[in-house]
Amino acid sequence: MAAPARVRTLPAAVAAIALAAAALWVPATPPEQPASQPPAAAAERAEDDLPSLGLPWGKVRGWERVNDGWTLTWQPAHGMWLVRAWVPDGPGEVLWRIEAASWLPGVRLSRRAASALAGRDDGVAQGREYLGRRDWLLTDARVLGALPAGGDLPANPRRGYPAAAALLAGLLLAGAAARHLVPGVPSRVWRQAVGWSALALVPLLPQLSALAQPAFQAGVRPWVGELAFGAAATLLLAALAFAAQRFPAVAGRPVAGWLAVGLAAGVVAGRLRPATWLLGVAGLPLRLPELAALAVLLGWLMGLAGDGLRELARPAGRARAAVLALLGVAAVAFAGPWLGVALAVVAAAAVERGSGTGMAVAGVWGWVFGSVWTLAEWEPALRDALVLLLFGVGTVAAIGLARRTTGISSPTA
Amino acid sequence: MIRFGYVLRVVAAAAAAAGAVALVRGRGVPGEAQAAAVARAAMERLGYAPLGEPTATFEGDQELAWALERARPGPAGAQLARGEGGAVRWRLVFPGGGEAQVTVDGVVWSLRRPVPEAPGPDLFPSLATPRVEAAVAQAVLDPASWRLVRAQSWREGGHTWERAWFVGGSGPLPPGWRRELELEMAGSSVVSWKRFVHPLGTDLGVVTGRMAELRLLRRPALLGLAIVVIGVLIAGAEAVAYRESTALARGLVYGVVVAVAGSFAADTLAAAPVQGVVLAAVVALLPGWTDLPPTRLSFGPAAGVALAAATLAGGTIILGAGGWVPVTSPVPSDTGWERQLADAWLPALVEEPLLRGALPAFAAPLLGWWGAALLAAPIGALLHPEPSVPLLASIGLGVVLQLGLAVVARFAGVGGAVLARGTCEALVQRAAFPAGPGWNRIALLGVAVGTVLLLWPRRRA
Repeated sequence: MAAPARVRTLPAAVAAIALAAAALWVPATPPEQPASQPPAAAAERAEDDLPSLGLPWGKVRGWERVNDGWTLTWQPAHGMWLVRAWVPDGPGEVLWRIEAASWLPGVRLSRRAASALAGRDDGVAQGREYLGRRDWLLTDARVLGALPAGGDLPANPRRGYPAAAALLAGLLLAGAAARHLVPGVPSRVWRQAVGWSALALVPLLPQLSALAQPAFQAGVRPWVGELAFGAAATLLLAALAFAAQRFPAVAGRPVAGWLAVGLAAGVVAGRLRPATWLLGVAGLPLRLPELAALAVLLGWLMGLAGDGLRELARPAGRARAAVLALLGVAAVAFAGPWLGVALAVVAAAAVERGSGTGMAVAGVWGWVFGSVWTLAEWEPALRDALVLLLFGVGTVAAIGLARRTTGISSPTA
Repeated sequence: MIRFGYVLRVVAAAAAAAGAVALVRGRGVPGEAQAAAVARAAMERLGYAPLGEPTATFEGDQELAWALERARPGPAGAQLARGEGGAVRWRLVFPGGGEAQVTVDGVVWSLRRPVPEAPGPDLFPSLATPRVEAAVAQAVLDPASWRLVRAQSWREGGHTWERAWFVGGSGPLPPGWRRELELEMAGSSVVSWKRFVHPLGTDLGVVTGRMAELRLLRRPALLGLAIVVIGVLIAGAEAVAYRESTALARGLVYGVVVAVAGSFAADTLAAAPVQGVVLAAVVALLPGWTDLPPTRLSFGPAAGVALAAATLAGGTIILGAGGWVPVTSPVPSDTGWERQLADAWLPALVEEPLLRGALPAFAAPLLGWWGAALLAAPIGALLHPEPSVPLLASIGLGVVLQLGLAVVARFAGVGGAVLARGTCEALVQRAAFPAGPGWNRIALLGVAVGTVLLLWPRRRA
């Protein structure tokens, strides 16, 4: 049994090395520009550059990568208003906007903020009181007191991929049904990995709420927004942990060579089409455990979808390999920012059942590293991403060494 | 010989009936008949005798009512909302012409009479202002508090029209609030007026802010329900694959009932068919979930009466402890027996099978039945809370209700929990609908069903 595995390992290792070389030397031209500064640095710049606007900004509550800059959100604890600013990476102008609760009567900007908004630097302004409105009269200009004020911020174009999302949801359901209807020996390792990853993310949720921009609204206190996000995330994590118990991955003997190929392919996918949302995670202080836990959870889910795809492709018989290869080519051509997860699903479906989840996690692991490597240009994020990759490579190497020393692994591994 | 168990059932039925009657007695929005008389008298004071009996519609301004209660906690605020605050009122339309809004406590909030054929001589411009100022006495009880701030006049239909805006200070309203009135005259006759209230921003802000926060907190609860629905889909696939026993006919009937009830309830018309399909699947799968306790319908309504009493007492306790919860019930967007029935029973029909049936069935193997029930409690509590200060007070009250329903489900099954929740909601929501025996009967429907079930003699084994 061990000899064929060794025969397959050699080309797999060669392929992994080739893919790693491609990831290193092929110039990647992702659609998004890399970020030259972390969100914290962008927030400092906004606080230095913008006028005080006459109201306390509160703490930085969240951020989002938009075009070539960061959109940051500040909100005081009472939640009556939000200050948002878009800070470009380069030397461009910092754009800002204030949103206030609709029930705040007669809200008016500060004199300095009104002057800044009207593009006047002289600061000569007269206040005017009206029923439910307070205006500023400036030289040759009038700033109406109505909020929101400050102009529109750049927004990411809505790139909805409803077909891809529906396809993935269908594959996940098919995978769940397949694992239940075609039972195998459950893998204790994957159950524990998913459970511990979900558990590890729970104390990190207060940090992760920085990525939940819609949770922060004018008129809603920030702790309530964070609570809503935390509750939703906890439910999702609990559902994932429950799903790992109820629909467990099948135990198997992963081939280190194929895992290395998956890891390297994930890195290439991340270089070609990085996931912008991972840049937000890379801006968090405890990014390393968060990236690792997300990679495990997302990889396990893709393994589940891969199981569904494998069962759906089974009627193709001997043409199954060709079908999966075609799907892989289609993923590269059409998946866009879903490339990493799409390749992970196809890779999980292509290998034997017991290795599918490992293959998917390896692919997603590499994709997470590749995305951060491509998009983040500040040192701590790159360092942590490299540690993440080394951890993945080390795990693959350990699996390979364990196979060589023991010859056969436990069926419940 | 009468068995002890049957005596216990009779006692439970009698206690539930007495408790339910006590809970609905004196509740409901009063003043429908009085409002018609007040509106008629006000029009007659303007020289117009309306014909026929008016059509009365209940309407209200939810945020305004709760902001008044927040500004004046307790019964004083609720009284303001029903009186000088103008937040809860009747709209009366007379068949022969004429329309008025009268608050529940009898303040004429707005009035419009048909333009008289002979409205009197047009007001000479220099004399118009004092005549218009004097006319405010026909619209309010404290004319001395009102001040004219703006007036305009125009010519139309052969008459000169005057329109004036008055400001009345805060009057009996809390400090910082403002009353306004718009009055119209044709010739020298008052033909209409309408009052407005401008709340203090902080009072309104506490209420609208809390409502916005609760809307946000509802999202994770909906996510929890969505996860349960996904579980139902997978369980359905398994049931088909393994040919498990299902109750298809029962599920189909239940789904139709849910869809019909959803089409009558507020804001759920689009979701009603989806809810019907999901609930049909849940009920059809119930026989396969053998971890669930068996259904015992008869004790459900009695438990519902107890839960309603606890819920109403919880609000009083929060107010007594210095917190704030609304006294005025949420104003329904429409009144009718079908709306009252649907608003009370739809949450029971939809949420109980999911929270007390599907969720425990999925999670019990890992968490145990009580662990699953504890998981369902916060999800259910976040679905329908009302604003409160502190915010966690109303959520806590909701958790208590959900835990009570979990206890009911443990001993009476999913069906018992549905009856308990429906009975409880009907009794709690009774205050939102007009006073009267017909509305009481609908609120007591669940109790009546429970009484019949409790008293129905069971066959000896």
